[in-house]
Amino acid sequence: MSAPTFSASMDPSTKSIRTTSPSPTAPEGKPSAAVAPTLIDIENLDFHYGATKALHGITLKVPDRQVTAFIGPSGCGKSTLLRCLNRMNDLIDGTRIGAGSIKIRGVDIYQRDVDVIELRKRVGMVFQKSNPFPKSIYENITYGLRLQGIKDKGRLDEVVEKSLRGAALWDEVKDRLHASGLGLSGGQQQRLCIARTIAVEPEIILMDEPCSALDPIATAKVEELIHELKLKYTIVIVTHNMQQAARCSDKTAFFYLGKLVEFAPTRTIFMNPENPQTEAYVSGRFG
Amino acid sequence: MPPETNSAALPSPTFNIVKRRLSFFGLTLDECIQVFFGGNAFVAVVILGLITYFLFREGAEFFGQNRQNLTVYRQAGLEYVDFMRRQEQAHTALTRDLFELRMRAVSDMTTRQGLTLAEANQRLASFDDYAGRFDDAIGPLRGMVADLTEVATAIKTKFNINQDKLEEREQLQSAGRTVEANAVKVEPVDFASEIAPILATRDAYLENNRVLAAEFAKLVEQVPAAPTPKLQGAVERFKVKVKAYVATFPSIEAEMAAWDFRKSVPLWKAFSAFIFGRQWLTASFWQDWYGVVPLFVGSLMVSMVALFLAIPLGVGAAVYVNQIASLREQRFIKPCIEFISAFPSVVLGFFGIAVLGEALRALSQVTWLQWLPGFPIAERLNALTAGCLLGLIAIPTIFTLAEDALQNVPRAFKEASYALGATRLQTITKIVVPAGLSGIISAILLGLGRVIGETMVVLLCAGNRIAIPDFTEGLSAFVQPVHTMTGIVAQEMGEVVRGGIHYRALFVVGIFLFFLSLGINFLAQKIVRRYRISIG
Repeated sequence: MSAPTFSASMDPSTKSIRTTSPSPTAPEGKPSAAVAPTLIDIENLDFHYGATKALHGITLKVPDRQVTAFIGPSGCGKSTLLRCLNRMNDLIDGTRIGAGSIKIRGVDIYQRDVDVIELRKRVGMVFQKSNPFPKSIYENITYGLRLQGIKDKGRLDEVVEKSLRGAALWDEVKDRLHASGLGLSGGQQQRLCIARTIAVEPEIILMDEPCSALDPIATAKVEELIHELKLKYTIVIVTHNMQQAARCSDKTAFFYLGKLVEFAPTRTIFMNPENPQTEAYVSGRFG
Repeated sequence: MPPETNSAALPSPTFNIVKRRLSFFGLTLDECIQVFFGGNAFVAVVILGLITYFLFREGAEFFGQNRQNLTVYRQAGLEYVDFMRRQEQAHTALTRDLFELRMRAVSDMTTRQGLTLAEANQRLASFDDYAGRFDDAIGPLRGMVADLTEVATAIKTKFNINQDKLEEREQLQSAGRTVEANAVKVEPVDFASEIAPILATRDAYLENNRVLAAEFAKLVEQVPAAPTPKLQGAVERFKVKVKAYVATFPSIEAEMAAWDFRKSVPLWKAFSAFIFGRQWLTASFWQDWYGVVPLFVGSLMVSMVALFLAIPLGVGAAVYVNQIASLREQRFIKPCIEFISAFPSVVLGFFGIAVLGEALRALSQVTWLQWLPGFPIAERLNALTAGCLLGLIAIPTIFTLAEDALQNVPRAFKEASYALGATRLQTITKIVVPAGLSGIISAILLGLGRVIGETMVVLLCAGNRIAIPDFTEGLSAFVQPVHTMTGIVAQEMGEVVRGGIHYRALFVVGIFLFFLSLGINFLAQKIVRRYRISIG
């Protein structure tokens, strides 16, 4: 089964994140974006933490089934932008969107009639620090499905295997599915979190520095996984590690002080950036 | 000049890193501060040790004294008389059954059959006649018990006077007043000859028992037909009970035959009489009993009521404040709940007597609430009243600790749950509360510890009746007055003779409480350590 799309599941119950029908995004005609259709369309977005403005007029189009990397020095707003994409920032008191919009397949996710729960099922997230629940591996993966009321044992077993295979973890844990998820190594825990995310079959996976707490070998495994996942999912990854961005991503956005400085195919950003700030950052002169 | 000499001649810079010492009594300032803090910690430990030691020293002797107490009970023949007394009391219980039967019959007749009271009484005339004969049948035994009670009491009194004299003499001797000491005459009590009159009644007793058995066998046959059809079952039950009662006679006789006043009371009896004793009876003319069970049951019942209230309120409030409430609500609710613990418990007790007890009783008289067990409440002060107030006391403890436990659940769990499409309620019930459960359980246990140790409220509001509540009527036992372990110590400690058995018994109750609290706290810590989730 392929990843569900927003337009494919438009039954009027809870499946749709919006009650009004979405219109497909009109192609904007940029030559680089023309290769893959735009999935996430961020337009002129301002974001505030209380009195502080964290994002200034961000405009960005994330292409479908590709890996988009957000890079930039600490505090540049890349994680904030990522957390806007599944409205995780709603959980923090005093945050708000000042201006602009984020549309996923043409649906503005900050509209009043959007069901945030449904949105988050479609836009999964992997966190910086691996955070499996203090439950068994099996329960970690089935958590999202059980929330949706799925109790059929056969179906759950199937999803567990598929997700763990998808996260390249199956062979390592198949004999101890009922052991605690907290007993795994750091890299395995992170892949468990990825498996848990893909178990609910999202369309988009957001990764917030997924490898920052991992050693190089575990990092390599997760990166390999990203390559496989992009065949089915649209991935947005925030990373501090520029080599990682260069290795895994198709497009890269460079942020600095809450502004988008440059957004281009990864090759361009690293080999031939337009902006001198980008050039200075990717060549390691600051950041 | 060679260069070496040249460099040696240069004034070398001093490398002085020796600490300058400011000393008091040979200690540096740092050491003084260390001694101060270390000393404080040490004093706390020493005081704790002293309290424990004192508690045990005062309490330990109780068991010896209780053994002595039980020995006199045996030697003076009180135990022997009590065999008969129990037989008599069992009969009294049967008479009470008859009386209850009559009450039900009267209410049946007046309400259902529409008879007047006079008519009902008339119809029950034959029943009353039977009840009278049933009651009279025990007469000879009752008389015998009354006589022997006097004899046994006299022996015990004689022994006690002797003990007092012995003590007086010892005191005089140790004070060096030998002449006066020798003037105190002590005649040792010869138990064998003293209790001979009691044992001499044996044949008469056995003969009487045979008569009684025959009498009751006859009476069983004569049980009148049930006054109303509804009571048929009760009458049948009564017959069965009487037969069972007569069947106990041989075993009582056997016990009495095996009884020997010379048999010594083993030490474990002194322990078991305390731990399993169902009576706490002091300053009695007959025999003092120090059984902790009624007090323990009272404490337990009051604590159960308290936890029944405090767990949902405390944990619920903690979940709400920690997970749902806005910052402004948190800032209001938290101090409010914590403020409860600022009430002195005597004020709460006062409130319990003046307001809560009255209010509960008034509530219990509302007609449409009569289906609740124990309603209407007879006593204003009872386990329920005290338990409600103790619940109030436990709420801040449970709330604060449970809130801490929830606070310690890593935020990452919550975020991961939300990111998988969980609602807030799902996240709370499936992730946050299970992850914080060990902390919540230990919060409840510490709340229990707080409640068990609380004194003033139970002393004022529990009703202070030293008896095991009647559990045969189910939950209504909770509206009966009880006494508690803390309450008894507070109430009686001021009135007892220092060093006496009663005084020591209260210390043993204290030790019992000490171990109980220790156990609860230990368990709470163990649970927290064992199930603490590693954050990673």
